[in-house]
Amino acid sequence: MAGGSVFECKEYLFKVLVIGELGVGKTSIIKRYVHQLFSQHYRATIGVDFALKVINWDSKTLVRLQLWDIAGQERFGNMTRVYYKEAVGAFVVFDVTRGSTFEAVSKWKHDLDSKVKLANGNPIPSVLLANKCDQKKESSNNTALMDNFCKETGFLGWFETSAKDNINVDEAARFLVENILANDKGLPYEESNGDRIKLDQETVAAESKSGCC
Amino acid sequence: LHAFVLQSTDSFCEHISVGRLSSCEDTDTCCISGGPQQSLFARRVKDSRPVEQRDPGWKLFGKVPPREGPIKDPKRIQKEYETKSGRAGPGNPTSPRHSVRKNLDFEPLSTTALILEDRPANLPAKPAEEAQKHRQQYEEMVAQAKKRELKEAQKRKKQLEDRCKLEESIGTAAQIWNQEILPNWSTTCTSRRVRDLWWQGIPPSVRGKVWSLAVGNELNITHELYSICLARAKEKWSTTPAPSLETEAEDAGSSNRESSLELIKLDISRTFPQLCIFQQGGPYHDVLHSILGAYTCYRPDVGYVQGMSFIAAVLILNLDTADAFIAFANLLNKPCQMAFFRVDHSLMLTYFAAFEVFFEENLPKLFAHFQKNNLTPDIYLIDWIFTLYSKSLPLDLACRVWDVFCRDNEEFLFRTGLGLLRLYQDVLTTMDFIHMAQFLTRLPELIPAEQLFQHIAAIHMTSRNRKWAQALQKDPERGSPVLKR
Repeated sequence: MAGGSVFECKEYLFKVLVIGELGVGKTSIIKRYVHQLFSQHYRATIGVDFALKVINWDSKTLVRLQLWDIAGQERFGNMTRVYYKEAVGAFVVFDVTRGSTFEAVSKWKHDLDSKVKLANGNPIPSVLLANKCDQKKESSNNTALMDNFCKETGFLGWFETSAKDNINVDEAARFLVENILANDKGLPYEESNGDRIKLDQETVAAESKSGCC
Repeated sequence: LHAFVLQSTDSFCEHISVGRLSSCEDTDTCCISGGPQQSLFARRVKDSRPVEQRDPGWKLFGKVPPREGPIKDPKRIQKEYETKSGRAGPGNPTSPRHSVRKNLDFEPLSTTALILEDRPANLPAKPAEEAQKHRQQYEEMVAQAKKRELKEAQKRKKQLEDRCKLEESIGTAAQIWNQEILPNWSTTCTSRRVRDLWWQGIPPSVRGKVWSLAVGNELNITHELYSICLARAKEKWSTTPAPSLETEAEDAGSSNRESSLELIKLDISRTFPQLCIFQQGGPYHDVLHSILGAYTCYRPDVGYVQGMSFIAAVLILNLDTADAFIAFANLLNKPCQMAFFRVDHSLMLTYFAAFEVFFEENLPKLFAHFQKNNLTPDIYLIDWIFTLYSKSLPLDLACRVWDVFCRDNEEFLFRTGLGLLRLYQDVLTTMDFIHMAQFLTRLPELIPAEQLFQHIAAIHMTSRNRKWAQALQKDPERGSPVLKR
């Protein structure tokens, strides 16, 4: 934080997108990750919603994740694509109980890669989330298939997640952040006014209690 | 000293109600437990609501139920207890139960149900001195608590009086609307007096009627046409195989991906979930499904777009099904709604740009702060406009916004947005981008209605002699804020 700090603490601000078809559980995953909560009663997202997760990554690194929860209906695409700008990471989510949402993953990934790139021209790191795995019918072993799919479509990896049962949400986030940090293209967070510091400290207290690291 | 605190918390006696839904208002049951005494009370509360507002069965928004549970009756418990245990002082008779509610004098609350008990019979009795000391302590505690609660009670009394006044004025207004305004709608609706009354909020009992009249039926939709569209939708539902997990995983036709029907199903349960009436098995689930389905048949070119379910739901809460459909289709046919629901990008940008003109004019400081933080209006306006505020504002407040929206058209939607920004100006200017974005896409749960409307009223919808409609005309000098990003 501003001045006088004993440790040299590096701060990062990362904009991370959460995209995927309507009703796959994007909002639920974010609520689980940021607030450790789950509810059956989330309302449909219209446009875009936001969340902030502050992570004490290690003793010298503070990471702020700005999560952009983008409405899933294809129709909104023209409007919401502008929100991809400056993102440095993304989750693409599908619902394991609805095959059509997996079919759409390639479309979302393609969309993402065509709209936003890292400074060096590479696609931004993205992770595929197979959500609602608590409702999966048969436990068919398609790990190899999925690994292959990720390789072909350019995902760093994939996780079976359940926002409801809190499965793999933190793990997936940690995996993505590791990769974003490795790129080290994050914009260093600049303190510009006192108000912000105050706010941020509150956020740290409120939002990172059971952080993932 | 044995002290048992009898619980009479709100959670025990609150109406089983969701939002404004309350069908159990007339009989309140209060369960009081704790200690050896257990009592169960059920009593009738005198209904003082005006007759025209008393509708049977499920009725939403038809009335404003008292928010606080009227049952707070520890005084009686205490008295009953005291009578039973022979402690009631003379000249302190137990009041008859029906009078408790009637004279709304200060009723001290739960702490007066702090009860001093003798030691159980199987233990040696307290020495007299100790008993005396305990009694004294007990009396001090109760006296203090009473004092505190008297204050609380006075506050509550004031609130109750305000509410009674409000209900009375709603009753009076309903009479005026029913007897004077509605019968002569075409001549009265533009009068100054009616417009003023309108601004104050339409009484829930006539709200649906007024909305219908104000929105009109340019499309000339009849009840028969609704039935035809609905029948067609149902035909489609039955021919489309139910998206069961197996079949869907197999065919997963990408052509079907945007199929309105599936989206409608997914969204219905996510429409006012906290009300629990649109969800599967809820009383209005099928109605909402029908209206949205019928609309996709009526306007296949528009189809289902997220946000529609919220609009249809609010209409359902205020109108019968066919009339709700007629209002729905006509409402969506307004220019601003058509632009948004057809996701006409460039037209939407025009609306956002016009909004910014009035934003800068009315709230220059906040506008600069938003610009500095790159917070563009699309980020919050999309949600507000697509749902006509029904998702972002508390429902009763959203309905009041709809009231004036029906009177003033789209301009009022944007004016409301500016009113909200004005209301929260001070807190917003202390925030950075992400906190503002979070705040605006998730407004506080309690928004003071009168204050908001004062702030809306303070927004001037003229900028350099241009009114809203003129500002909407493309201004070549002003690039689109979104495109500029």
